[in-house]
Amino acid sequence: MPLQEQLTSAAARGEAAGVEELLRAGAQVNGVNRFGRTALQVMMMGSSPVARLLLAHGADPNVADGRTGASPLHDAARAGFLDTVRLLVEAGADPEARDGARSLPVDLAKRNGHAEVAAFLEAL
Amino acid sequence: MAHCTSMQYEPVAEIGGGAYGTVYKARDTESGKFVALKNVRVPTDQDGLPVSTVREVALLKRLDQFDHPNVVRLMDVCATKRSDQETKVTLVFEHVDQDLKTYLDKAPAAGLSPDRVKDLMRQLLSGITFLHSNRVMHRDLKPENILVTSGGQVKLADFGLARIYSCHMALTPVVVTLWYRPPEVLLQSSYATPVDIWSTGCIFAEMFRRKPLFRGDSEMDQLGKIFEVIGLPPEEEWPTDVTVSRKNFPPLSARPITDFVPDINEQGAQLLLKMLTFDPLKRISALNALEHPYFQEEEALIQTNS
Ligand SMILES: Nc1ncnc2c1ncn2[C@@H]1O[C@H](COP(=O)(O)OP(=O)(O)O)[C@@H](O)[C@H]1O
Ligand SMILES: [Mg+2]
Repeated sequence: MPLQEQLTSAAARGEAAGVEELLRAGAQVNGVNRFGRTALQVMMMGSSPVARLLLAHGADPNVADGRTGASPLHDAARAGFLDTVRLLVEAGADPEARDGARSLPVDLAKRNGHAEVAAFLEAL
Repeated sequence: MAHCTSMQYEPVAEIGGGAYGTVYKARDTESGKFVALKNVRVPTDQDGLPVSTVREVALLKRLDQFDHPNVVRLMDVCATKRSDQETKVTLVFEHVDQDLKTYLDKAPAAGLSPDRVKDLMRQLLSGITFLHSNRVMHRDLKPENILVTSGGQVKLADFGLARIYSCHMALTPVVVTLWYRPPEVLLQSSYATPVDIWSTGCIFAEMFRRKPLFRGDSEMDQLGKIFEVIGLPPEEEWPTDVTVSRKNFPPLSARPITDFVPDINEQGAQLLLKMLTFDPLKRISALNALEHPYFQEEEALIQTNS
């Protein structure tokens, strides 16, 4: 399996150690897999260790899903993981970005009952 | 079985390549949410899908109608004919973006609080009780298959597929973890729902230790590590239908479980030992585990506090 494929899979499985090793082995942090997605787009959203690693290596937090327009911040907000939401925002993720349905990340946090995440995004 | 509306689900990454097929993280383009797609290849004849597959899928769908809070939702099932000999069955599950492994790794250095462990265990055992009362065994419980939402809700994944797979497994050699396997499986004896209780016991210990309890690197090594903790079982408990002899192992006696899980309380240690019982017939059931005093303690506490 090419490095890119391995990197996105390790990120999606939340394997921080694997992600670190692959980056060291030369996997491109912003490279896409065969589905056209970067590691940050497909990572296990609850894995703040993986988010931290990818962002520290320069992962672009503002890539939108080609099909739905959702950014990683939309996905982290929808799933309600405050630690990941914070990391993304600190790394420059745009909280005003709208997905294909014109929703903001904060809208998705609210719609899915994640009050803490919604409050954090609203306070920005 | 419905025809696949495969356009609705767009894979974004491969998350598992088991012996039986592949698991993808995918996007449900209608809701915008992530889903987990499990593809199983099954052989087809002129009558279509094998009866066993149809029956197992029907069982999964029936289970899903109970909306049990501690198992992932089965959102859709589709069948796509690949050739005259093969059909791809795709199971679409609710996707949860955190597993117990990640959750434990993220815990503060001091570990999870005793209350948190108890809450996780109660949810885990509720999910297992539900599956077992519907005569479904999980068979592969491990922290990667136990999902935890951002709100702390436990949801079991990967259940009930064991029989679909085992019927059609194209036995490609895959590395499967042995760490949560009970003795009867390691010994290749017959097994049933108590397998899941053993695995749950290993996971219970791991919640306190934050590292696996038994980390063997072969079946024999795994059994050896187990006996170092629970002691070599007596001759009369050794299953008769196995080829591995009890004489292969040194005659160790049991050591206090608190040597290995120092942070567990008295009642917790008692429950853990009931789960890590060698003889599957003597092992506690999921339902009885939920009724163990370990879970009653906190209830009393909450009542006096409120
Ligand atoms: N519904 C789900 N939501 C999120 N992740 C899932 C879901 N179902 C399975 N997974 C993840 O996919 C991984 C790969 O699954 P699988 O191929 O069955 O491999 P394994 O044999 O390791 O369970 C699982 O370990 C689990 O972490
Ligand atoms: Mg599995």
